[in-house]
Amino acid sequence: MATVVRGKVETNRAYWTFITPAFALYLFVFAFPIILSFVLSVSNYSGGKMFGGDPWTLTGFDQYFKLANDSNFWLALKNNVYIVLISVFGQIPLAFLLAYVIFRKIVRWGEGWQAILYVPAIISVIVLGIMWKMIFASNGLLADIINALDTQTFLASLNGLLAGGFNVTDDFVQKLLAISDPRALTGFANPANDVKELILSMGYTAANLDVFRSDMVNLLAPKWTPDFLSHQDVAMIPILFVTLWVWTGMYIIMFHANMQKIDSQIIEAARIDGASELQVMWRVIVPNLSGVLANAAILCIAGSLNTFALIWAMTAGGPMNITQVLAIYMFQNAFIGVPNFPLANAISVFIVLFSFILIGLTLVVERRYGGRE
Amino acid sequence: MNTLKIALGWVGKAAAYAVMGLFSLMTIYPVIWLIYNSFKTNAQFMVDKISLPNEWILSNYVGAWTLGTFDMLIGNSVIFTVLSALGIILISVLAGFGFAKMQHKSTGPIYGSFVMGILLSITSLMVPLFIQVSQLDRLISDAFHAVGLFAGHDVHVFYNTGFGVILIYVGSGLPMAVYLCTEYIKSIPTSLVEAARIDGATYFSIFWRIILPMSTPIATTIAVINVPGLWNEFALINILVSDETLKTLPLGILRFNGQRSVDYGKQFAALVIGMAPMLIFYFAFRKQITAGVSGGAVKG
Repeated sequence: MATVVRGKVETNRAYWTFITPAFALYLFVFAFPIILSFVLSVSNYSGGKMFGGDPWTLTGFDQYFKLANDSNFWLALKNNVYIVLISVFGQIPLAFLLAYVIFRKIVRWGEGWQAILYVPAIISVIVLGIMWKMIFASNGLLADIINALDTQTFLASLNGLLAGGFNVTDDFVQKLLAISDPRALTGFANPANDVKELILSMGYTAANLDVFRSDMVNLLAPKWTPDFLSHQDVAMIPILFVTLWVWTGMYIIMFHANMQKIDSQIIEAARIDGASELQVMWRVIVPNLSGVLANAAILCIAGSLNTFALIWAMTAGGPMNITQVLAIYMFQNAFIGVPNFPLANAISVFIVLFSFILIGLTLVVERRYGGRE
Repeated sequence: MNTLKIALGWVGKAAAYAVMGLFSLMTIYPVIWLIYNSFKTNAQFMVDKISLPNEWILSNYVGAWTLGTFDMLIGNSVIFTVLSALGIILISVLAGFGFAKMQHKSTGPIYGSFVMGILLSITSLMVPLFIQVSQLDRLISDAFHAVGLFAGHDVHVFYNTGFGVILIYVGSGLPMAVYLCTEYIKSIPTSLVEAARIDGATYFSIFWRIILPMSTPIATTIAVINVPGLWNEFALINILVSDETLKTLPLGILRFNGQRSVDYGKQFAALVIGMAPMLIFYFAFRKQITAGVSGGAVKG
């Protein structure tokens, strides 16, 4: 009897010794900050010493009412919801389709595709953000690729015109203007006349047509200058694209691994009964993977509501807040300019609550509509 | 009819290859573009962003390396990543042993709170976390000053110290790691622990001789899934340190964003230096990383 009691005491002591480091750190890093952020969000603490400095008190929920009337907050929330939506309804279906194509061996070399598509997820989003910023810039790679393609098309049309010989007639100029970029012509008062005079004044001859071609490319070929960041309705497109680009590969691996756990006899039986690949996917694989899909949606929601570093590197929420998201808005309120800690903490509380609401919703949907094997 | 089916099958296959090829190209081309442009001269880059370098040069790397103080940044990243990963493993195997093999009424709520914590992202807590660590340091400073120690300057324990960074990195990795360890250690036969107990072994020696060695597979998984996240971590280190000598690679890379934009060569070289270590890590441990991702252990 005494040994049993001593054993229990020892087990109790060992239990606390073993779990305390983890539990204490968990409290330090998650639990206390959550409590602190709530307390500060209903206070007027404005920085400085919290104990023994300027006095501060609890003042109520006015920060939350301020947020409700803050157009920048709503813009950040809207942009953030876009990111959640592209994650849940972009990454997951796309990854599912690609995983299915690999799983059913519709394409060979499945492991290789997966290895390539996962690469972005391993690289720092700071590196990726700066890289994509340069690609989407007004003089960036995307513009160069599209303009190179447009120039090729223009040159092909121009060569078509020149096939009938180099002869600067009104008809030739009309056809030339027809293949030109309308924006390039806005500088001319009377394009048909002015362009003709310009070409004649340059004294091109049939012998130096290459000079003529390159001059026409410079003057008249379509030229696109990306300008995502000056319109609110398109500013998020690069960010949404990159979000999709970075994480889809991760979900492909997750879905593919779980598809392999499905009993292959069910699939073969369905195929023999005449089900098409699409029917197999929709009626066999999706119901079997509903739990995994719900998990993926939860990871997506938790990750995308907290997206910070990628956008920080690409736009930092700017210009003029048009690519603002919740985490950056929170950061700016706390660390840039005069700190507004109560407001920043109210945003922090909002992010935590909002992500739990969305995750709860996902679980309800899974429970209601998810397949049971 | 059969011919039609076969023909459709071929069209479908071709379409599948085309889609797969397109997505893979879109995924990998920007990364390759970044790499080969880091060997281009600025003069060529200004007029031609698309083609390969006319002349492959290394001077971008030499310039970026000196400008970026990369030896220090990489050193800090290595120290923070390795120590944090080791800390996560040790502490979560300890806790996993407690939760999985010792009957205790507190396991339900405490273990449950760890599982809940998997859903919490620490990014949303960076503001209160910053206030917490900086205010704790002030309290500690005041306490020392009150007894006449370190008079005249601030004492830092949590904010702007390597210790503080590692502590918070370990904490942020714990929920997932504790969950993985607990579920894994549950699969170790309880009879092993009981037999050792009957032989008079203490829990500590059981941990050291049985549990820890048997947990090597899960420890490896935890290491490979945490290392990339720790190495690339930005949001927390950005607010937890201000001292240049404590900064890590992502912070150093960000300095190349914009300000030196006229010097594209160095910027590209810096970005390649920033991604190279994790690309190498990925190619070395692809199988283990893939296994960790399959289980949903990596947060997007």
